[in-house]
Amino acid sequence: MSKKDGAKNWVGQALPRKEENRLLRGRGKFADDIKLREMLYLRFVRSPYAHARIVSVDVSAAESLAGVVGTLTGAEIAAQTQPFIEIAPDPGGKIKDYPLAISKVRYQGEPVAAVVAESASLADDAAELVQVEYEALDPVVDAEAALTDRSILHEEAGTNRVWNGVFEYGDVDEAFREAEYVVNIDRMHFHRFSSTPLENNVVIAQWDPKDDRIYYECNNSFPSFAIQFLSAHLGVHIDRIRVETSDIGGSFGIKITSYPQMAVCALASKKAGGRPVKWVETRSEHITSSAHGNERTFRDTRVALDKNGVITALVSRHIDDCGAYPRYEPLGCVIWSQVFPGVYRFKNARIDFTQAVTNKCPVGPNRGYSRMQHLWFLERVVDICGHELGIPTDEIRLRNYIRPEEFPYTTPNGCVYDSGNYPKMLQVAKERIGWDEWKEKQAAARKEGRLIGIGIGTTLDSGTNNFGQSQIVNPGAPFSGNSQGANCKLDIYGEVVVSVGSCPQGQGHETTAAQVVADVLNIHPDRITVRTGFDTERNVHTGFSGTYASQFAVSGLSAVHGAAQKLKAEMKRLAAFLLEAKEDDLEFGTGEQGPEIRATSTGKSINYWGLANVVNVNSAVLPPELYELTLNCRYIWRAPFKVPDKQKKYGNLTLTYASQLHMAVVEIERDTFIPRILDYVAVDDCGTVINPPIVEGQVYGATAHGIGAALMENCVYDEVGNMLTSTFSDYTPITAMNMPKVKYAHIETPSPHSYSGAKGMGEGGAAPIHTISAALQDALFASGIVIDDSFNNGDSLFRAMVAKEISQADKLVRVEKRV
Amino acid sequence: MAIKFAGDFEVKRTPEEVHDFLVDPNKFAALLPDFQGLLIQDSTHFTVRVKVGISHIKGTAEVKMELEQAERPKRAQYKGQGSVAGGNVALTAGFDLSALDGDSGTKVVWQGEAQVFGRLTSMAGGLLEPLGKKQVQKLIDGLQAALR
Repeated sequence: MSKKDGAKNWVGQALPRKEENRLLRGRGKFADDIKLREMLYLRFVRSPYAHARIVSVDVSAAESLAGVVGTLTGAEIAAQTQPFIEIAPDPGGKIKDYPLAISKVRYQGEPVAAVVAESASLADDAAELVQVEYEALDPVVDAEAALTDRSILHEEAGTNRVWNGVFEYGDVDEAFREAEYVVNIDRMHFHRFSSTPLENNVVIAQWDPKDDRIYYECNNSFPSFAIQFLSAHLGVHIDRIRVETSDIGGSFGIKITSYPQMAVCALASKKAGGRPVKWVETRSEHITSSAHGNERTFRDTRVALDKNGVITALVSRHIDDCGAYPRYEPLGCVIWSQVFPGVYRFKNARIDFTQAVTNKCPVGPNRGYSRMQHLWFLERVVDICGHELGIPTDEIRLRNYIRPEEFPYTTPNGCVYDSGNYPKMLQVAKERIGWDEWKEKQAAARKEGRLIGIGIGTTLDSGTNNFGQSQIVNPGAPFSGNSQGANCKLDIYGEVVVSVGSCPQGQGHETTAAQVVADVLNIHPDRITVRTGFDTERNVHTGFSGTYASQFAVSGLSAVHGAAQKLKAEMKRLAAFLLEAKEDDLEFGTGEQGPEIRATSTGKSINYWGLANVVNVNSAVLPPELYELTLNCRYIWRAPFKVPDKQKKYGNLTLTYASQLHMAVVEIERDTFIPRILDYVAVDDCGTVINPPIVEGQVYGATAHGIGAALMENCVYDEVGNMLTSTFSDYTPITAMNMPKVKYAHIETPSPHSYSGAKGMGEGGAAPIHTISAALQDALFASGIVIDDSFNNGDSLFRAMVAKEISQADKLVRVEKRV
Repeated sequence: MAIKFAGDFEVKRTPEEVHDFLVDPNKFAALLPDFQGLLIQDSTHFTVRVKVGISHIKGTAEVKMELEQAERPKRAQYKGQGSVAGGNVALTAGFDLSALDGDSGTKVVWQGEAQVFGRLTSMAGGLLEPLGKKQVQKLIDGLQAALR
């Protein structure tokens, strides 16, 4: 395709994805496509118990089966490895986490042993022959109950509490003394759900005895983080671990925490004499034991408001459930504070945050990680206050939104929101959905006894983390800032080749990186080859490389842009010599012999082949002063962060803040209590849009994920820790069949914090969960029901409306008027 | 997932005869639905093998049983633990016996609980309770028939 008439840049053009040709024709290369000589297959034996002591593990029957090469048990692993690094300080730091259970199991589905065989089916059969004797222990499946420590998961920690901290800013007590209204909300709950990528976790590991190196092919989405855990755990120097990723079929963050399985596969390969070992996760394994999103309970919330419904202070106690092992946690205990006030202006707040382990699947970063729980909480607070005080839900938001003229806006905890215009997003959403018309229809429908609600969800997608926030949870953590690396070169025949240390899972990095470089060199993006995929040995990367946390548009493309600029500068210097011209006389473009540099004064030009030829295979023509030119330029981009104040928990934690405002009209069917979406609008602001269809696609994806989470997807555990939703028939992930027609719109408030004005996006901030909760609230408030849970389906609404089991407003919410 | 069951029935045997029947694994275990075999360890411990099947999940369960209480002729209580189809089950079953008026027989009050662990609860959670109760009813029917 060519640029639209009048367009100056490729950035901003609706360029079709370069990846499409490969992926849509089935020519992608995914980890499970890789087959190596003498490869073995691994199957885990998993615990049926949520909490039990392991009395014995008998692998003899499995090992005697023909075709079985070996087994691994927790005891073997403990004898030759160290526990994984814990990010938490004590008491969480005392937890000993191994990839196979040693003396007890702590969640249903925890791996207890592994079987390695010549084929995957043999490994399956052999795994069933492993006899494990358990002695059941009292399980604890609720985080608040866990904090009583009546049944302790990790005896070495001595408590189920992983982390606790108080985040306090402003003068909270004074604000409450001055308040006109105080709204008290007893309890709210954000449910546990996960992601269902098309491709589950896959690991191929080979511990090669020839050079004592470990080679991984896998689909981990944050390999630079994984290798730091693996190196310390396995006692192998980090440069002896090579991790490569290829195409990845979705991650949503969940694939960040596959390093325990990576460790087991490497150890199994070592035991098998260096033969490669492949593990392909089954769907039920993925649902029960890969990683879930954080579950969170909000207790004793008090909201101070002035006479106009402007929130002046907020106090609350938050209890986060991280499942059986912290793993990536307790980073979630601070990551939520990237969006401390949400989109609102209140300055005084105190949040007491505690995280606990429970006998459930460990959590991992899940799209909107840790922030969506908090943003949902804030949206519920605003909505409940609006309903209780009789202020329309659009109006109370307008009274509390950060104003457009206040950007860049510094939050009470020192984060700097780069740009945004929330009132405008609200206005656009209202126009797209037909707010006034729906209000009229809603009033008419209510007279007929129909339950229709209109909900608003305003949310943030903070991107490009300052890893210094890890020091707020653990002052000894050795991480801060953020960086990404890229390389841009002219190959020997003059091809432009870009490599970047990301591992895309559908985000179109090949395309957007090509657009950026195309603008720098003034050539068509089709002339640029982009090599994505992580490779610790052959591709450029930093300790933060990977694809996560809505950051590629800023970190990845800034690195690509920097590398392209360096290459351009070298090309200019070389061309000036070869064309006998001044550098400022040169222009980049495309001529009859392809991409070239031209001297405008003389009309002489040299194409990229000519430039590359001189540097690579014809170098005798170069004068010594140009020997330093390589046309192979590496650039490491670093985010301009400072280490936050650990004591005050203050500092800029994220570089960009994309925002979304969703609006939904939802009807609850009177007969079935099933909520149905009648209309839906998603308005997005990710600053400068690099590729509109890619942004739009990610908005649709995040919207689907959020609608699924709000209405269909729930990780349900019974009282003894059985996961009751371990298959798609029970977990019911959303499909295209369940999606409403989404009306998409966007506004652009360019970020001053990125070179292009773009903000990281893709996670989406879970706007549909906030929005659907708000719409259900609007439908049911007159019935005396408060939506206090993020998951609402026909069954839960039946219990709320008919059985009167939950959510009754008079029990949950109390308003104090101070006049 | 806990499945609770309870009930009572009357038979024309004496409490002693009923008690002796209940604590004899050769007699009692054979009444278990889809009974396949029995291995007796000692006077209070035995392992029973039964066929189990829920839809496409089929297999053999080995349940280690212990006669936890034997208070002749008033009470007998078993506890058991076994593995089945990727899961485990822990169960208790108690029988309280009392003589009917005029020594015309025995009233048997029974109660129990089965706690199921593992993926079975998810794969067949909705079926477990009715199926479990059906199997328990078969056992009770068998008991009544044997004690007739």
